[in-house]
Amino acid sequence: MTITTNLAEKNGGKAFSRRPATTNVETALTLATGAAIGIYGAVRRDWFGAALAAGGSYLVYCGVTDLQRPYQGRVRSAFTINKTPQEVYDFVRNPENWGRALREPHFEHDGSGQITLRFGSDDDAEFKSHVEITDEKPGEYIAWASEEQMLEHRGVVHFKKAPGDRGTEISVALEYKAPTGPISHALASLAGLNPEQLIREGLRQIKQLMETGEIPTTVGQPIGARGLRGTAKRVLYHERPAAEMQPQRMAGD
Amino acid sequence: MKALCWQGKTKVGVERVNDPTILNPRDGILRITRTAICGSDLHLYDGYIPSLEPGDVLGHEFMGEVVDTGSEVNRIKKGDRVVIPFTIACGQCYFCKHNLWSACDNTNPNAWMMEKLYGYTGSALFGYTHMMGGYAGGQAQYVRVPFIDVGALKIPDGIEDEKVLFLSDIFPTGYMAAENCDIKPGDVVAIWGCGPVGQFAIRSAFMLGAERVIAIDRVHERLKMARAAGAEILDYGEVDDLVGELKWMTAGRGPDSCMDAVGLEAHGHGVGAAYDYAKQRMKLSFDRPTVLRQVIQACRKGGVVSIPGVYGGFLDKIPFGAAFGKGLTLRMGQTHMHNYMERLLKHVQQGDIDPSFVITHRLSLDEAPEAYRTFRDKQDECIKVVLDPWRASAAA
Repeated sequence: MTITTNLAEKNGGKAFSRRPATTNVETALTLATGAAIGIYGAVRRDWFGAALAAGGSYLVYCGVTDLQRPYQGRVRSAFTINKTPQEVYDFVRNPENWGRALREPHFEHDGSGQITLRFGSDDDAEFKSHVEITDEKPGEYIAWASEEQMLEHRGVVHFKKAPGDRGTEISVALEYKAPTGPISHALASLAGLNPEQLIREGLRQIKQLMETGEIPTTVGQPIGARGLRGTAKRVLYHERPAAEMQPQRMAGD
Repeated sequence: MKALCWQGKTKVGVERVNDPTILNPRDGILRITRTAICGSDLHLYDGYIPSLEPGDVLGHEFMGEVVDTGSEVNRIKKGDRVVIPFTIACGQCYFCKHNLWSACDNTNPNAWMMEKLYGYTGSALFGYTHMMGGYAGGQAQYVRVPFIDVGALKIPDGIEDEKVLFLSDIFPTGYMAAENCDIKPGDVVAIWGCGPVGQFAIRSAFMLGAERVIAIDRVHERLKMARAAGAEILDYGEVDDLVGELKWMTAGRGPDSCMDAVGLEAHGHGVGAAYDYAKQRMKLSFDRPTVLRQVIQACRKGGVVSIPGVYGGFLDKIPFGAAFGKGLTLRMGQTHMHNYMERLLKHVQQGDIDPSFVITHRLSLDEAPEAYRTFRDKQDECIKVVLDPWRASAAA
C-alpha cells in the first residue's frame, strides 16, 4: 500500500499546497545570507555594492515572509500490532480508548466529534478541535477532517493485515496547517508538541496497550539526587518532581 | 531504602531514596537478597554509555523475595523467591513470541531515544541509561520489576542465592555466546576476556562439546580461573603476534570460533590500542574496539565470531574486508535471557556447574562505591563482587 498524504480529493476539501514547507534551516540560511550580502554591499559604497545590497535586502524580505507564513506539515507513521485488523479497528474507533492510550496529551471526546486535548495539568494549555469522520470502512480505514481556524487538519488511518503471523499494520497519514510560523513550530517541538511525535507516540501507546494491557512507565520510581542538569532533563524523561512523590518510608532502618 | 546511585563519571554513592511502588498492573516489587556488580556496569561507571543521569539507580543482576504484586500478576505470588533477568520483556509482542526477548517492542518507555540512535528500540534493561528505558536498577534494597510474570524465574527451596544469582545475566550471557559459536565436535574456541562472562563462556563451551578452549587475558588470577576450567591460557601481554600465536596453537587452521567477551573498554597494547584510547578521551568515540579487530583477524575461514561484549556507538577501523574475505558469521546482541534461565537452573540443580566459583568479593551495599573502583582497576584479585543490601557495612 502506498500511503499518500494528499487526501484532498477524497475528503472533498481544498488542496493544501504540494510544496513542502520551508525548513527552519533554509529560512535561517536565507536570512543569514541576505544579511551578509546586504551589509557587504552597503559597506562597498559603489554601484556594484548597491546592487548587492538590493539583492541582500530581497533575501531578507523572503526570509521574513517565510517566518510569517502559516506552517503546513505532513505526518505519516505506521506500526505493526500483534492483533487482527478488526480488533485494532474496534480499539481505535472507540474514543474512550484514546484517553487510556495517550499518556500526554490528556484526551477527551464528547461523542459528537468535539475533542479536547489538554497538555499537562494546566487548564490553559487546552486545545479544542471539532473532528468529523468523512469516510470509513469498518476494519479497513477511517478518514477525518477538521476545518478549525486554529489548526486545520485531515487524515486517514488504515488497518491492514500484516504478512505472516505479524498482526495488523496500522498507519496514519495526516496533513495540517497551523497559523504560526516555523519558529513557533520549532518551539512546539521542543515542548513535545510536534505533530509527528504526538502521532508516533500515540500509535506506539495503542500498540503497547493492545498487546500488553499497559503502557510502560518509570514515572514515580525511586531516583537519587538529580543535580542541576538532571533536574532540567526531567521533562525529557517524563519524571514527576520529587515533591509529588510519596513520603519516604525508611525500609533500611 | 538505600540504593546505589550514579553521581557522575567514576562517582557512585549510596543514597536514601523512596521505596519503589507498583506503577503498572503487571509490576511486582522485590525485596532484594543478593545483587552483583556487572562488567557492563563499569561502562556506566566510566561514563561511556550515553543518557545516564546523576541519581539513576544502577544494577541489573539481582534476586530476592516478592513482597508485592500488581492486579494483573498471576503466576508469581508474594513470598516467591525469584531471579530476575536483566532484560525486561512483555511476552506478547512478535519478538517475544519468537524467542527474541531482548528485542521486545513494548517495554522501553523511552523507545524514541533508542530509535534515534539505533533505528529501532530493543527491550528495556534495569539500571542501564534512559535510552534503555530508565528503569531504576537493583543495587538497592527493593526494586520494581515490570512484567514480573514473564521474566521471574522461581527458585526452589534448598538452593543458595549465590548459586542462582548469576542466572540474572552473566551465566546465560556466557552460555548464549558459546551457543552462538555453533560448536561442533573437534572445535577449538578462542575466548578474549576472562572476566565473569568469559569464565561462564569457557565452561559453557565445554558443556556444548568444544574440544579445546583457548582463554586470552592478561590478568593473572583470571587466567588461573580459566585454567581451572580446563582452558589453555594465553597471556596477550607476553606475545607479540596474537594472531600468529593462535595459528601456531591450531596448526595453521585458526580457531573455529572466536569470542569477544571484552567489549568497548578493551586494553590491548601497541599503536592501535593507543589510538583507541586517544579517540575515546577526546570523545570522538564511545568504544575501543581493539579486541573486535583481533577476533575478526584471528578467526578461521568460514568461522563464527561471537560478541557478548558490549559496544555502544560507531566503531572505527574494523577489518571488514577480512570478515568478508573469510566468509565469517558475526553473532551478537543482548542475551535472550528468557530462553536460558530455566535450562541453566537445571544444570545448577544437577550439579553440572556451581556458578558461585566466580565470586571473589562478598560485601555490603555501603561498600559498593569502593567495590566499583576495585573491580574496575582489577585490584585485590577482584573478579566478581556480590552485594548483600541488608548486611551492615563491615566498616560501620
